[in-house]
Amino acid sequence: MSDDNHRTPLFFKGGHLAAEDEPVLFSANVLVEDGKITRVGEDVEAPANARVIDCQGKVLMPAMYDVHVHAREPGGEAKETIAACSDAAINGGVTGMVLMPNTIPAIDSSAMVQSVLDIAEASSRIPILTSGCITKGRAGKELAGIAGMHAKGVPVLTDDGSPVSNPVVLRRAMEYAKDFGLILASHCETMELSGRGAMNEGAVSYRLGLPGIPAISEEICLDRDIRLAQYTGAHVHIQHVTTARGMEAIRWFKGQGVKVTCEVAPHHLIFNEEDIQDYDTNYKMNPPLRTAHDNAELLQGLIDGVFDVIATDHAPHTEFEKKTDFVSAPFGITGLESAVISLYHYFVKLGKFGWDLVVKRYSAEPRRLIGLDPVPIVEGGTAEFIVFDPNATTTFSRDFMCSKSVNTPFLDQTLDGQVWMVLREGEILLERN
Amino acid sequence: MTEEGLKPRKDLLDIESLDLEEIEFLLKTAGPFKELFSRSVKKVPALRGKTVLTLFYEPSTRTRTSFEIAANRLSADVTNFGVSTSSVVKGESILDTVDTLQAMRTDYIVIRHGDSGIPGLVAKHTRASVLNAGDGYHAHPTQALLDAFTLREVYPESAGKRVLIVGDILHSRVARSTSIILNKLGVEVSVLGPGSLVPPARHTFMHAFTNWGDALDWQPHVVYLLRVQLERQQEQFFPSLSEYHGVYGLTNRRVEILRQKGIYLMHPGPVNRGVEIADDAMKYERSLINQQVENGIAVRMAALYWLRPGTDERGGDS
Repeated sequence: MSDDNHRTPLFFKGGHLAAEDEPVLFSANVLVEDGKITRVGEDVEAPANARVIDCQGKVLMPAMYDVHVHAREPGGEAKETIAACSDAAINGGVTGMVLMPNTIPAIDSSAMVQSVLDIAEASSRIPILTSGCITKGRAGKELAGIAGMHAKGVPVLTDDGSPVSNPVVLRRAMEYAKDFGLILASHCETMELSGRGAMNEGAVSYRLGLPGIPAISEEICLDRDIRLAQYTGAHVHIQHVTTARGMEAIRWFKGQGVKVTCEVAPHHLIFNEEDIQDYDTNYKMNPPLRTAHDNAELLQGLIDGVFDVIATDHAPHTEFEKKTDFVSAPFGITGLESAVISLYHYFVKLGKFGWDLVVKRYSAEPRRLIGLDPVPIVEGGTAEFIVFDPNATTTFSRDFMCSKSVNTPFLDQTLDGQVWMVLREGEILLERN
Repeated sequence: MTEEGLKPRKDLLDIESLDLEEIEFLLKTAGPFKELFSRSVKKVPALRGKTVLTLFYEPSTRTRTSFEIAANRLSADVTNFGVSTSSVVKGESILDTVDTLQAMRTDYIVIRHGDSGIPGLVAKHTRASVLNAGDGYHAHPTQALLDAFTLREVYPESAGKRVLIVGDILHSRVARSTSIILNKLGVEVSVLGPGSLVPPARHTFMHAFTNWGDALDWQPHVVYLLRVQLERQQEQFFPSLSEYHGVYGLTNRRVEILRQKGIYLMHPGPVNRGVEIADDAMKYERSLINQQVENGIAVRMAALYWLRPGTDERGGDS
């Protein structure tokens, strides 16, 4: 199959192309030969031996890259495996990702990194990188084996799922890790303020009688971590920002020249606390859904360029774990399979932003963030792109999803748009009828 | 269908989802049930042959007994399903329990649980009618009904009356459910309590006072004291129980003001003497606390009488 792909040139006919910083789509035929894009243009003709793929009405764009994914392997294989996670990624138009290290055991040494990369090598259909822990066992006390993990290709250190609560430990980690060119990614939360909170603290948590996680829990830690980065000169990456005030702090610190980058998750743009009807645990994640005001401000921040990247925080949990009361249920929802489609359905389709933003923030910038080259659809480029059909729909049924878990608010919902085809190095990873 | 033409409802989970017509129906139905209590035979055959099961994950002898008496007086068979209240019982094992109860063909499940939303979760997984006897900080609908019923006994025209709720608003399902039912009935509701226990994001219809003087100047008709959970002091929501009593408690001096103004006193029980209420104040002649207990049985009878098990749809929910 793979060899066949490389032998037969692929000719994508009549589609529209999306590129970062190009607000308007442009029509072009695309010829792929031996894994490379060899011709792009309106006048390009199909060679006689090419397979012609009709892309009328469809959009071709660079494949996505997700820097925040929980593949749960090792230790959480009932929730997700690297194999299933890579299939889920492909299903959603994502062809590369950075895994989070909060596995069991945690990825906090070169040996653990190697074992995860070995599993990925054997079972993943797309290239995978893993992040490593800042502290051993994510316990927030002793530094993890930083140099060893760096030598195995780890681009990012994080205790994601938890903050490094002790500022001295984080300070030392930043001072030490910056000389390796490592990014420190922060899950911002002040644990004492979060307590046993299960959702955003506010009118809805009061009404539902659920313990709240106040916005200041995130904002205080975010502020602290950026100030530590400012002081140490390290590069801090703020994960899953959810509050308008937190985002404004990042905007301000960026203006001061601090090396801070940040990400926003699609669900924090789309949903808010009001969506937690009837204690539906598929709306429970950490940090939690905030307010409609935050939705609007985060969206504007994304358009303004405050957010460097979009990342899903794909966090699978079994149906068994989620089928409980809201307080007991674990935090997290899946996102890889719905991200591009939901961005289209809620924003691109409505003219809130264009495909150029999706390409920039979910394909090009994530790759740049961790030192990879973007994959634009240009002559001489690698053929790593997706074909999106805006006229089709996608129903997120159990059968549709490849992830081992289905804990998403989109479960059994139908959204506009479909990831119709996915290519990587010229190989067709996904093709729908 | 009930004789009143109301759409039948399977479960009673909270007050929020009840409309005014349903609330009025329940309050009206509780009246004749209460009259039964003064007869020598206190039983009616309405639920003969039906099984009511109580499932209490939080200890509460009072509420459980109240439901049991209510069910007995409707001639239902009542069983307490003994569950562990000492350890943390997670939702997943509750659903296993619900499967068991389903197999036992229980008609009504009365449930109390420390986590908000559990009765709703149970209701989705059983054909039995589920009555929420208190979940987390969320709701305690029969408490709200008995409070409204009690208020109506002293003020038949309850609309426009003023009720001051005093204490831990943040962690109180009673404050939530009772304030909602009073608001629906046109009663004005204000709250008084320590700033750490009165959340700014409460229902907007509730004004918050910060001291008794201002609160009493508002001329409440009823002061409704909430029980102070003793662990809140350990969690440092306020400095000490004696300070709480001095600043927010119903002291002997404040009872005297209530007496002068003719203000009624309510409390959901059980009372912490010397904390939210001074020992002597328990003898206050305008205390409705014992009346609340008696009315609890009547409104629970009305609720059991009204609900219809086995309705597949959660009737009435919009």
